[in-house]
Amino acid sequence: MIPVRCFSCGGVIANKWEEFKRRVYEGESSDTILDDLRVTRYCCRRMMLSHVELVDTIAPYY
Amino acid sequence: MKIEVLEMSDRFAKFVLSDASIAFANGLRRAMLAEVPTLAITEVNLYNNTSVLYDEQLGLRLSLIPIKANTDELVPKEECMCDDNCPACEVSMTLSAEGPKMVYSGDFVSSDPEIFPSDENIPIVELKDGQQLFLEALAHVGHGKNHSRWQAGIACGYKTYPVVTFHNCDKCRSCIEACPKDIIQMGPSGAEIQDNDMLECTLCRSCADVCGINAITVDQDERAFIFNVESDGSYSAEELIQQASKALKKKSDGMLEVLEHF
Repeated sequence: MIPVRCFSCGGVIANKWEEFKRRVYEGESSDTILDDLRVTRYCCRRMMLSHVELVDTIAPYY
Repeated sequence: MKIEVLEMSDRFAKFVLSDASIAFANGLRRAMLAEVPTLAITEVNLYNNTSVLYDEQLGLRLSLIPIKANTDELVPKEECMCDDNCPACEVSMTLSAEGPKMVYSGDFVSSDPEIFPSDENIPIVELKDGQQLFLEALAHVGHGKNHSRWQAGIACGYKTYPVVTFHNCDKCRSCIEACPKDIIQMGPSGAEIQDNDMLECTLCRSCADVCGINAITVDQDERAFIFNVESDGSYSAEELIQQASKALKKKSDGMLEVLEHF
């Protein structure tokens, strides 16, 4: 699950995650999406860019 | 003191504060980050959690969700007159969901209709088939200095107002190429920076370093500040600045009271 807030600045990022994910799947480039969502600081940008969803990986073992 | 607002949207604000001291500007910045009272979840009673997240992980995620509330009507728990808990210091919210479903912050049912998470689309946990979640979250008022869950101001900062002047420019254009922000233009009497572009200057001095005839001086106005304010959503950016000013005022009023009774 995407962290609710950025680790460094505390800005809320989880509210932008699903739109970011959808638009990346649709083939848009991630930097223009982040600019569009006003995720301007590099601390928040790395939260989005480097996130890996693991729920589906863990779920079968529950 | 003068304020010129450059941008004021729901979550972002940019303004120039002039005729003020560095101490005051920094006081305002720190108040926005640490002294604004907000509401956040501090306790969770879990009745059922068969999701992939541990109770503690779930608790952390819930606590960081910003909550919109009128904090003038609420008091921090330690300042409340009640014995244990009362509607003035505690707000209860319940969450009940069964998979398959993505649980969002908007699924919370609050005991007070005026108090709700400021974003409805924060994913809390994804429930797979048959997984259940049933909890009661208790929110309390606090300040950003105690925990980031209460931090309403995000990366609020200021810089001093840049003052770049050109004397006897020989129009060699080297500063125009050197400027990383591309704000220097060639005017009729040599290189110049438009007033609006001056806000973009980072005082890097690349232009002054590259100038062969020392025609450029880069200085700063230490009584004017360009503020950048961002809110987490629990307040609008405008309310955040007002609340920070109120917090500063409350502190100085407290000082006054102490001195009067000295």
